[in-house]
Amino acid sequence: MKWVSILFPAIGVFMFQFLLVDFLSLNMIRPDFLVVYVFYISLVYGKTTGIFTGFLLGLLSDLSGVGSFFGLSPLSLSVTAYLTGYLNGKYERMLPYLFHGAWISIIGFHFIIISYVRFQNILLSDPISFWIKCFMSFSYTMMFLLIIQFFYPVKEASHAEIN
Amino acid sequence: MRKFYLALLRYKDHFIFLIAVTLSLTLLLKNDAPDILIIRGKFTDYFSIISSPFSWVKSMIVLQEETELIRQKNIQLTLELEALLLAQEENNILRDFLRFKRESNLKLLAARVVNMGASSNLSSITLDIGSDHGVKVNQPVIVPEGVIGKTVVVGNKSTIVQIIKDVNYRLSVRILPSGNAGILQFISDDICEVRELQKNTEISIGNKVVTSGFSQIYPKNLPVGEVVEVLNERGSFQKIAKVRIKSKLSTLLNVFIVIEESNEVG
Repeated sequence: MKWVSILFPAIGVFMFQFLLVDFLSLNMIRPDFLVVYVFYISLVYGKTTGIFTGFLLGLLSDLSGVGSFFGLSPLSLSVTAYLTGYLNGKYERMLPYLFHGAWISIIGFHFIIISYVRFQNILLSDPISFWIKCFMSFSYTMMFLLIIQFFYPVKEASHAEIN
Repeated sequence: MRKFYLALLRYKDHFIFLIAVTLSLTLLLKNDAPDILIIRGKFTDYFSIISSPFSWVKSMIVLQEETELIRQKNIQLTLELEALLLAQEENNILRDFLRFKRESNLKLLAARVVNMGASSNLSSITLDIGSDHGVKVNQPVIVPEGVIGKTVVVGNKSTIVQIIKDVNYRLSVRILPSGNAGILQFISDDICEVRELQKNTEISIGNKVVTSGFSQIYPKNLPVGEVVEVLNERGSFQKIAKVRIKSKLSTLLNVFIVIEESNEVG
């Protein structure tokens, strides 16, 4: 039952990312809903489920079409899931600003990995442009993640494990 | 054995993470392995089937806008055509005088862009034709404005194209009129850098950049872009030219694959 409730939304999120994210593209930067989903799954269900989901969604994402660095998405999403797993059920036990700082940093780290690999040329030739690009990708996804906070805050997700 | 099993259970999160990271790194390091390319090709076929109705809807949305632009362009082109016909005539006469001949003719295959990948940064596009139509790996992909990439994964009915914006993409180019050759790589937005340029040659802003023909993939003299900045650092043995590519990669709908270059020797 648990896997069904993860699998169907995962397919939905992937299809949304695959088919409709082009419409949300701004200056060739697109929001990454896969990282948002993997983040919530890890927060609710913990590391193991998160890593599985992240790896499989990343693999699907790369199989759907990527020029080079096939395997980068499974890697970054697995790392995100693993790190987010540490926040599972921790909201009550951590200072709120520390908790929020931690999950924002994890999402940021995901984009640093992606940008570091994909924009390594820019990092070498113009580090400021690199960080701007990295920050833009991060902020665009964060914008959607912050909107989601109105419907399903991370503090709720952190202690909402369904057995 | 029991201890190992207990440790495995106790630290299963870390083990699973380790396995996921190892698998991902293996995939990353085996990007060009034939098995991986076959699997990617198969999946590309399936994904292109799923995404083709959406790309059709998308093309319908932009169709009206495009029709208006085409009408405007049509008027412009009609006017330009007259001038060009005269220029061509003059050109033909001059070519005859100089005994120039066209060096090559390209055989092109038209394709529709059905998808632009799911990753957060655009690095590839998927086309609706594949090996059934005669497409092979490492064939140049162009639009009227110039080169945009090359085929990297070919399925039966679809193809993934590594576009010029991919960090791993390199293109051997020549800057005209000086004829200086260098290696082009993408930097950001629509700007690329050409490196390995000889320092003593003259390169000016506005110079045309075309393919050099040194590579086995790209025929020579395909347009790429034009020079917008020349960096001549003191102490360096080479010049760097910044080049603006003309093609609008984010709004591509149709492209051409160069499937053959028939050389005329004369």
